[in-house]
Amino acid sequence: FTASLLLGTTLTISSNHWIMAWAGLEINTLAILPMISKSHHPRAIEAATKYFLTQATASALLLFSSMINAWQTGQWDITQLTNPTSCLILTSAIAMKLGLGPFHFWFPEVLQGTPLTTGLLLSTLMKFPPITLLYMTSPSLNPTVLTSMAILSTALGGWMGLNQTQIRKILAFSSISHLGWMTIIISYNPKLTLLNFYLYALMTTATFLTLHSTKASKLSTLMTTWTKAPTLNAALLLTLLSLAGLPPLTGFLPKWLIIQELTKQDMA
Amino acid sequence: MDLSLVLNTFTLLTLTTLSTPIIFPLLSDSLKNTPSTITNTVKASFLISLIPMTIHIHSGSESLITLWEWKFIMTFKIPISLKLDFYSLTFLPIALFVSWSILQFATWYMASDPHATKFFTYLLLFLIAMLTLIVANNLFVLFIGWEGVGVMSFLLISWWHGRAEANTAALQAILYNRVGDVGLILCLAWLAYTTNTWEIQQLNSPHQTPTLPLLGLILAATGKSAQFGLHPWLPAAMEGPTPVSALLHSSTMVVAGIFLLIRTHPLLSSNQTAMTTCLCLGALSTLFAATCALTQNDIKKIIAFSTSSQLGLMMVTIGLNLPQLAFLHISTHAFFKAMLFLCSGSIIHNLNGEQDIRKMGGLQKMLPTTTSCLTIGNLALMGTPFLAGFYSKDQIIECLNTSYLNSWALILTLLATSFTAVYTIRMTVLVQTGFTRIPPLTPMNENNPAITSPITRLALGSIMAGLLITSYITPTKTPPMTMPLSIKITALVITILGIIIALELSKLTQTLILTKQTPLYNFSTSLGYFNLLTHRLTTKTLLTGGQNIASHLVDLSWYKLLGPEGLANLQLTTTKTITTLHSGLIKAYLSSFALSLLIILMSAH
Repeated sequence: FTASLLLGTTLTISSNHWIMAWAGLEINTLAILPMISKSHHPRAIEAATKYFLTQATASALLLFSSMINAWQTGQWDITQLTNPTSCLILTSAIAMKLGLGPFHFWFPEVLQGTPLTTGLLLSTLMKFPPITLLYMTSPSLNPTVLTSMAILSTALGGWMGLNQTQIRKILAFSSISHLGWMTIIISYNPKLTLLNFYLYALMTTATFLTLHSTKASKLSTLMTTWTKAPTLNAALLLTLLSLAGLPPLTGFLPKWLIIQELTKQDMA
Repeated sequence: MDLSLVLNTFTLLTLTTLSTPIIFPLLSDSLKNTPSTITNTVKASFLISLIPMTIHIHSGSESLITLWEWKFIMTFKIPISLKLDFYSLTFLPIALFVSWSILQFATWYMASDPHATKFFTYLLLFLIAMLTLIVANNLFVLFIGWEGVGVMSFLLISWWHGRAEANTAALQAILYNRVGDVGLILCLAWLAYTTNTWEIQQLNSPHQTPTLPLLGLILAATGKSAQFGLHPWLPAAMEGPTPVSALLHSSTMVVAGIFLLIRTHPLLSSNQTAMTTCLCLGALSTLFAATCALTQNDIKKIIAFSTSSQLGLMMVTIGLNLPQLAFLHISTHAFFKAMLFLCSGSIIHNLNGEQDIRKMGGLQKMLPTTTSCLTIGNLALMGTPFLAGFYSKDQIIECLNTSYLNSWALILTLLATSFTAVYTIRMTVLVQTGFTRIPPLTPMNENNPAITSPITRLALGSIMAGLLITSYITPTKTPPMTMPLSIKITALVITILGIIIALELSKLTQTLILTKQTPLYNFSTSLGYFNLLTHRLTTKTLLTGGQNIASHLVDLSWYKLLGPEGLANLQLTTTKTITTLHSGLIKAYLSSFALSLLIILMSAH
């Protein structure tokens, strides 16, 4: 299953034609579904169902947008997406795929239902193709829509994350917020989006793997891990703080650069 | 012979002689002090200090000795310098004479005290601080002396520190003096800022000095010299032993404030507001103190209030732009006030600790020397012609009458003068004359030369000092020479009026009618309600206000409502609202997706 995942991702990344991109995304969705529902727990099945429904809708919308563009302009090139309607629909489709607000409602529950390593894959690897697509089409996207979605996701992610006790849900909301940061800068400086994504992927991987080794899935479990593995706990502390974006840690770098870029654009 | 050299040498010799009892015990274990050695040291200092004074009277030479310069900021040098002019050279022997007499008296008074030597050392330290204040040319050195006398006053008032009232009295002294110090520091700061010097000989302003630093000076004098507003510490300071009261609170420390005003007189004279403040403040103090003294029953408190009243009179003189006359009054007042305190001390010790004049009487036959000196002192205080007080007091009242200044101040001062006569006569009558009210078995003995010689010496001083000083100095301002007869004898008439009233009223004590408690009587007895109002009210308000601010304002409002917790509460409400939106129903989610898509598409067109 991991092989199919990798296949699907590679396919989408290296594609130039919309159908290829869509195929890759479908392969990804299909490959990860059994991984989500491996434990046959009702929650896992529910998570798988929700995931499937949202991702299917998103892929359909993606195809739809590329078809409109093909009808209008007569070509299926990814970088040449010029029709405004198709741009908007594409934006919403990718948002649904990523878990950007207001299309984010599925993400926490899906992540809660998956085992931790699969959850890691969900948050990092699965986000990669859609972000690549966004990167490739970024010049022609509507900045207003992107900005409003980004602000919404950042705020919602922050507020929702306060009231959680399950760690996976907290990580889901943190990913939503980070996606918001990534999206806000994409129309002005797409490279910063990529930077943000790479660093976010790194930090989230570290967090997930730490949590996996201590088998902590609730906050109450997390509080007692210090007796079992004190150094790991300390490392987790630093990683989480980096995720939060505290200055001397790496997580601050994308935030700082994004704010700088936004100020130049008279927005922040 | 070079007179200035002799002048300087002997002054410095005076000061060093005084400090020998402090230094010698530190050098070797066999050189211990005793009360008599300290007394003899002060006597020697006094005799040495007569020489510079004589030189000054003879040739009018003044000098300025600069000992060392404290350069810690390059642009503002503080030279430690001594100014030996008329004021310091005249006051030095007077202070030393009075101190010698007091110390000799104290060898008898404190003979039964286990720590007598420490007492004498404290008195000596006080004297050194006071003399530093007197000869200082730099206001910084003056401030050192100022603080020194304050601290020694605290230590000496609480000499019998087992007594709670003594401790509170000492605290009062320090606190009220501190409030005055604020004024002095304000003036020092202003001087450093504008004139860049703290030297007294450089203080003069041809144009108007701003009022603020002068008010600071007046505040300092109010604190130190117990003018109205900062006065309660002086009657409370009577908790200390009688030699302390005699030295500090009659002749030397309380005149420090007035002395400061005399020294900085060039600054004050150009500002009319400051002069009027001095005048009115002095008049108010003198009347208030005299009123309070009318109904006191403790002999030391009566004398304390009379000191306060005379200090008010000195302040009035400064307000009249007559510093030299104020200095004259300081000098003459030192003699008879110290003598009054010593006489009261002798009476108290002989009556085995009784201080209430209602329990004394008929002492004229039993303590003849003491009571005759008491009478001389009281007459001098009232300004009887040709005793010491007359030369200064009468001249002050004459100048007051012939000036064109505030008539309200004039009336108050005249009223206070008559009150002075009243309470003095009351004290004399109740203490000395009439039937005895003392317990039958009291061992009275005043044959000790340690009592009689200081008192008689000071009595001689009270009689002669006024004449001597006025004959030998040349006044800087011509006193008014011509005035109508009624003005000339105003002081005298008022005093005689006071005497008659007092004698008449004192007959009441023999007619066995109880005194009615009228409001006026209450006012006078409870010291004008001042103590009651200020001591409790201000402190309680400040403390409760502080507590309110700390607990209510800071803790409850800022922290809970607005600051950190308020922000946290804000986030909580938002979070709770949003959590209820995330219900978990896929249908709701998908429909929200569709809605959002529609909105996006609509908004773009």
